[in-house]
Amino acid sequence: MKMKKLIFCITLSFIIATSVSARKTGCEGNCENGFGKWTYTDKTTYEGNWVGTQKQGQGIETWPNGYIYKGEFNKSDWSGQGILIFPDGSMYEGEWANGFMNGKGKFTWSDGKEKIGIWKNGKLQE
Amino acid sequence: MIMNIKYFNKLTELLPEPVRQFSGLVFLTFVVIFSFAILNVFFGQGDELVEKMKKEEARAAEANKLSKIISTLPSGILTFYETGDHYKLSKEQYETVCKITKIIPQRAVMGANLINFKATKIYTTNGNQITETFVNWDKEKNKCIAGFILNGSIDGEEEKITVSGEVLNFLSTGIDTRVYFIKNF
Repeated sequence: MKMKKLIFCITLSFIIATSVSARKTGCEGNCENGFGKWTYTDKTTYEGNWVGTQKQGQGIETWPNGYIYKGEFNKSDWSGQGILIFPDGSMYEGEWANGFMNGKGKFTWSDGKEKIGIWKNGKLQE
Repeated sequence: MIMNIKYFNKLTELLPEPVRQFSGLVFLTFVVIFSFAILNVFFGQGDELVEKMKKEEARAAEANKLSKIISTLPSGILTFYETGDHYKLSKEQYETVCKITKIIPQRAVMGANLINFKATKIYTTNGNQITETFVNWDKEKNKCIAGFILNGSIDGEEEKITVSGEVLNFLSTGIDTRVYFIKNF
């Protein structure tokens, strides 16, 4: 009798644990047209506006290794005004296009050093 | 031939008993050694087998050493900069983890590619394929350097790009450790 109870408890815990972990991936809210949070299988998350299942408008993308992008998206790319925070605390604040720093921006290193300038495809134009 | 055998028998009869016994023993020993030498030629792997066993022993010892080191670290993100969120590695731990880490996962590659336009283009075109990855301890700078090499064509031209930088955070899975943030700016 005790053995049956034990097996039942283990099975129940397993089912609960798998359903909880399964709920952590996928969409919470509206990830087609509206506002929603999508959690990818590698734990990258995007929380923001969606248009036609694409990231569009304002949103926050968080990578599991510490990168955080807050700003505008266009067809799922980082495009427009945005801030990228690197895992060590360094930060870029400025214009983005096609997923890269493109346009006017300010880069701040984790030690406080700053660089303001024009960026093209992720490179500062000296 | 028969004469030779008869002559040999007579000669052995002339020898004293202890000498004959000793000669028999020497002959028997020689036969045994010779037999094993022949068997070794056909069935034995000799030096090759010893070499393989040594390598396997060394591999097992290394795996044991690594698992001991990993078991002392918490699972999750390990950093080498000030942060309240994750486990901060000491200098010694940082060096050790660097030396045992071999894997660079996709997110770390994508992060390093964020400020390398050409690398991203090749990486995407190649279907996220990387030619080579490396994690090395720089003795002079006392830093862990990791990177990857990408091969591919951009606008019809063949390019080989090496993206590398200082590793500032690792991921410990409990089984192995992985590079998680390459600071290449």
